[in-house]
Amino acid sequence: MKRSKDPFEAAYGERESTPESPIPPEEAGTPAPNAEEENISQPPSVPSTSRAAPRKTKEEEEEEEEENMDVELSKISSADPDKMAKMQAILSQFTEEQMSRYESFRRSGFQKANMKKLLASITGSPKISVPMTFVVSGIAKMFVGELVETARIVMTERKESGPIRPCHIREAYRRLKLEGKVPKRSVPRLFR
Amino acid sequence: MHSSSAGHASKPKVGSSQPSEASFKRKRGVFQKDLQHMMYGFGDDPNPLPETVALVEDIVVEYVMDLVHKAQDIASKRGKLLTEDFLFLIRKDMPKLHRCTELISMHEELKVARRAFEVDEEKLATTE
Repeated sequence: MKRSKDPFEAAYGERESTPESPIPPEEAGTPAPNAEEENISQPPSVPSTSRAAPRKTKEEEEEEEEENMDVELSKISSADPDKMAKMQAILSQFTEEQMSRYESFRRSGFQKANMKKLLASITGSPKISVPMTFVVSGIAKMFVGELVETARIVMTERKESGPIRPCHIREAYRRLKLEGKVPKRSVPRLFR
Repeated sequence: MHSSSAGHASKPKVGSSQPSEASFKRKRGVFQKDLQHMMYGFGDDPNPLPETVALVEDIVVEYVMDLVHKAQDIASKRGKLLTEDFLFLIRKDMPKLHRCTELISMHEELKVARRAFEVDEEKLATTE
């Protein structure tokens, strides 16, 4: 796509706007391989050129797809060229596996519609503001991250390998509770 | 042993005892696809175990519920539930707080950009 040649610019642009953009969630539905092929087939081009493009095409992007895209990338580059350079340096050294994982990390997110439904049912009011949706989605995503990372730590402690099992998640959850990262219920959950 | 997953599977509606959720039919696997990608991104296997995904989904939904309930408690003093209430709740958690402020400011930027774009389109239409 005219968007960018660099794999992560594509990942950058697609992802980042976790909850707010409808596009990434839809694309998250398509298996990672498709996205990977599209990205990896394009060789990582020189950062400067592809970075310049996003800034100019920001308005064009808005034409095609309402949300985000390279706004994120241009935002990072305009905000901190230093950080941008660092990221580029790191990203260029990624192996394919790391790349695909990073892409999943950036692109994944909770579906806006599902989150809206959930929030509406919890709050009881059908109208949920858009910012609230993606704020909660962002918080939830980071929570998942904490869970998974802690579960991996538990696994290394127990010297196990392979996919994460529910027992690891439960232990991770217990540890997060002790750290106070999980909001405590004032009323205990009686019926599950 | 947590039988929450089994319990939910057999009870398609009303996932909890809280009255405010009485109308919610808690379907299983609402976030399943998203969660699989997410967990892979954070360090799990490319194909996470389904029971793990189900458990994480349960935990996340419970987390969101608790978060929202707490936010509502705070907001009830003022009236409406606002985004700021969530920000207040995570104020102690630096990474989350930064991420949320970043998301919000990005949203604002997009809004402004979109508005500017619409104005341009109007101009184009009128000149044509």
